[in-house]
Amino acid sequence: MQSFLALLKIDLKLAMRNRAVLFFNYFFPLIFFFVFAQMFDAHQGSAILQVVAMVIVLGILGNGLFGAGMRAVQEREENILRRYKVTPITPVPLLAASMITGVVLFVPSVILIIFLAHQFYGMAIPAQFLSLIVFVCLGAIAFRSLGLIIAAVVNSSQESNILIQPIYMAMLFLSGATIPITFMPHWLQNVTQFIPATYLMTGIGGIIQRGESLGENWLSVLALIVTTLVATFIATKLFRWEKDEKLRASAKLWVLVVLLPFLLLGAYQAWSQHDLVKARILARDLRRGQTWLIQNARIFIGNGNVIESGAVLVKGGKIAAVYDGAFPDAKKLNAEEIDAAGKTVLPGLIDMHVHLGGPGGFYDDWTKFDPEKSSERELAAYLYCGITAVRSSGDKVDDMLKLRQRVNSGERLGSELFLCGPLFTAPGGHGTEYAKGLPEMARAGFNAQFLRIPQTQAEARQQVDELATRGVNAIKGILEAGVPGYTFNRMNIDLLRAVVQEAHAKKLPASIHTGDARDVSDAVSLGADSIEHGSFRDEIPDATIAEMKAKGIAFDPTLSVVEGLSDFAKGKTDLLKRSLVQQVTTKELLAGTEHAASSKEMKSMRDGLGRYPLSMELGGRNLLKAWKAGVLLVTGSDAGNFLVLHGPTVQREIELWVAAGIPPEVALQAATFNAAKLLRADQRIGTIEKGKEASLLVVDGNPLQDVRALSAISYVFLKGERVTRTKLFDQK
Amino acid sequence: MSGHVIHARSLRKSYGTLEAVKGIDIEVQAGEVFGLLGPNGAGKTTTVEMLEGLRPRSGGEVTVLGFDPDRQKQALKDRIGVCLQATNLPDKIKVHEALDLFGSFYSKRVDGDALLKRLQLWEKREAGYATLSGGQKQRLALALALINDPQMLFLDEPTTGLDPQVRLEIRDLIEELRAENRTILMTTHYIEEAERLCDRVAIIDNGVIIAIGSPRELQEKSETQSGVEVSLGQPAPATDLPALPGAIRTIVSDDRRQISVSSSRPAQTLVELIRWIDAQGIELVDVHLNRPTLEDVFIELTGKRLRE
Repeated sequence: MQSFLALLKIDLKLAMRNRAVLFFNYFFPLIFFFVFAQMFDAHQGSAILQVVAMVIVLGILGNGLFGAGMRAVQEREENILRRYKVTPITPVPLLAASMITGVVLFVPSVILIIFLAHQFYGMAIPAQFLSLIVFVCLGAIAFRSLGLIIAAVVNSSQESNILIQPIYMAMLFLSGATIPITFMPHWLQNVTQFIPATYLMTGIGGIIQRGESLGENWLSVLALIVTTLVATFIATKLFRWEKDEKLRASAKLWVLVVLLPFLLLGAYQAWSQHDLVKARILARDLRRGQTWLIQNARIFIGNGNVIESGAVLVKGGKIAAVYDGAFPDAKKLNAEEIDAAGKTVLPGLIDMHVHLGGPGGFYDDWTKFDPEKSSERELAAYLYCGITAVRSSGDKVDDMLKLRQRVNSGERLGSELFLCGPLFTAPGGHGTEYAKGLPEMARAGFNAQFLRIPQTQAEARQQVDELATRGVNAIKGILEAGVPGYTFNRMNIDLLRAVVQEAHAKKLPASIHTGDARDVSDAVSLGADSIEHGSFRDEIPDATIAEMKAKGIAFDPTLSVVEGLSDFAKGKTDLLKRSLVQQVTTKELLAGTEHAASSKEMKSMRDGLGRYPLSMELGGRNLLKAWKAGVLLVTGSDAGNFLVLHGPTVQREIELWVAAGIPPEVALQAATFNAAKLLRADQRIGTIEKGKEASLLVVDGNPLQDVRALSAISYVFLKGERVTRTKLFDQK
Repeated sequence: MSGHVIHARSLRKSYGTLEAVKGIDIEVQAGEVFGLLGPNGAGKTTTVEMLEGLRPRSGGEVTVLGFDPDRQKQALKDRIGVCLQATNLPDKIKVHEALDLFGSFYSKRVDGDALLKRLQLWEKREAGYATLSGGQKQRLALALALINDPQMLFLDEPTTGLDPQVRLEIRDLIEELRAENRTILMTTHYIEEAERLCDRVAIIDNGVIIAIGSPRELQEKSETQSGVEVSLGQPAPATDLPALPGAIRTIVSDDRRQISVSSSRPAQTLVELIRWIDAQGIELVDVHLNRPTLEDVFIELTGKRLRE
């Protein structure tokens, strides 16, 4: 111990006297810091976090591989170690002193970088500062031990150079320290998971970007510790005091043994993709962290207010300020300016009623339809159209939970997903008909995902509880008897009441599908939170409407599905020709749907559909009555049904509302503020107010005068990221 | 252990099929200065390193200060001082820091400042290693070897590569150490160094000891004859010289003013020769008695010069 301390003291003194050491530990990272900061536009937004992570990793690499590795070889070559050999010390204090020296020298440089980032680029001091420092120390020690094992197996400085250079380069370019991993092709991303420095990069990224603790990075921490222990042990065993003692070439394989934890980790990651997902999320966070000033715009706040000309400052994923009239210079705010003269900024639109499992049309070849892939694509299509949140109102629950995880974490870019989970219905009730088209074997599995058919109230409650535990956002029940010729078993009111009550007990909104006025009345008296569809075959009584208003029950009229089904029954395909629909829908789906709308084979189906009473006129009238009575209106499309294609659904729904006599500003508020309220997400989305998430739609013109302007999309922002809309469909 | 500081019997070292040391016996007494002489590659350094615990032996019995250098390496290293050739310290380390550092390695340490003063390094205590002259580096090496106040010192070529003046200084230091009754085992290339400093020397060649004893004993055992040489004021008469005791060969120069006689009994030869010259009434100008040097012994035994 005494020798270790003396060695440590001398090592530190010598390092402080060595200009190269100071250069590589301090000056070099500083150069990289400022160069990267410049390259990545670190003064605006959160790119500085990435820059700091990169510079720290570069520093650890240099400190370990060159600092420890090269120096140990030099000391052997210059016969310095030979002098130690005749004294009683063992390699252990020598190696330990070298490792600790590196860390002691390096940590101040990390703190310096963080300080500079804080001072010049406004980076917040990491919340998990201690975790960061501990992690950096572990990393530095592990990489110094790697340097020492390299020193232990090479026979000369030249050899060490030959071995260190490729290792250094690989770690530099394949760890995300210079090129973000998400820029790489997928196979190369998998390769990065075998590179130890990648874990440094992902770990540091997680800690400073997401405020993660050491514990959340336990796998990386473990790998670093195991590498340190193994490398130190082997370096001690292979330690040579003299240059004349040569090792066989095969000894170099020990380096691989030391890297074994990372090889195992790499294999695990290639299988689990855990860290690659994390890398994508970290990259997304950075894009969401940029600062924007959308200026000279008309601003539709969402809650009824409009700013005729002003600016919105987007920072750190949130709306940082809303300016009415004059606004500061973008440069002073370190923001990138977006001139939106002649444009309108709105909160991202919300579709309260979609079925991601239904494509909205037909394929000529149904093998082309992959429900999982198309759900992802559908969320991208919504985002493309400025619909930044949708609620799945009846889909396979596991698929939706998985998809929600992927999209809402930022791993995948798409509209934010809320989900109702399976439909509560009666045996033979609406919802049960979908499984009929499936092969016998697939039906039970499908129904378990898609439906809940409780027999008793207790079972109903238990089913709601189970869904609540799994994290659904809402509960949906069906109240529908159909029409003569197309009858459904209507759900027992007491069972449905149990469902609604239990949903409320679990603090979940309950939405109820209704077919006619009686269904609406019952749903309202049950205390549902929203009426889905209302009625397209009779008029909802004034008393029911008044009760809705009194109870604060929302009305989601889904006029789009009336139009879609009616058009399809008539073989009319204008809806397919809308510009945004053309942009977001696959060729196969467009062509297949076009064929289905006119083919002979489908004629009987179209005719059947045509006989089902669906009146746009009645739907519109019910909507108008609800509006006049002051009922909370929300927009939903029932997309996934024929000709209601996933994409610009809210735009079309609003057009139908306006055609039915609803003022544009009312429809727009229904699609933003009101919908957010029903989603119970109004504290973070739905309006353009300071502190809200920056999920925005910027359109050309003024939708308050002409709602068709909603389709003239200039920009879409999701949680602060300006979405590159054309690349949405190229996501790997 | 029998009063011997170093006791080695049948010490062997082989590298694969190559036998570098082929069974060496050495006993070094406490307080003795023992020299190992031998041409390059004779096995000197290997032998010394086996004794120091730097290199495991292949066979034989060894104790140094009662420790087995292989099995009690750390304990042995803690008690000995070693001055290796061709070692270095980091360029930027200061003289006093080096002493502090090395002092920390041992269980016992002496006052570093006193050592520095004694080795005339006191003025240089703040100097970096790279700025020291060759002599200063060597004195520092000796200081480091003495930091644990060792009873046993190993000095491997302590004066090699130094200029003559410095070499003399170092030799004086070694004499001081010897006066302190420390046991010293040294290797050297300088015959006169061994003659002057060593109580006993062993000559090693091809991994075996071919001669061992005090420098004088080795010289006396030598088969090389001493020579007697006289210079005369006038030419010697052209008669035969008398029969001289011990004389083996007599050479008279062409001008008959120089007579050289090689002899196994040079003292008697000289007395008889002078007596004869005196009897001839010739003036005696000069007399030389040439004894064989350790170098002659070395060449005789190994067929090689010590420094090649």
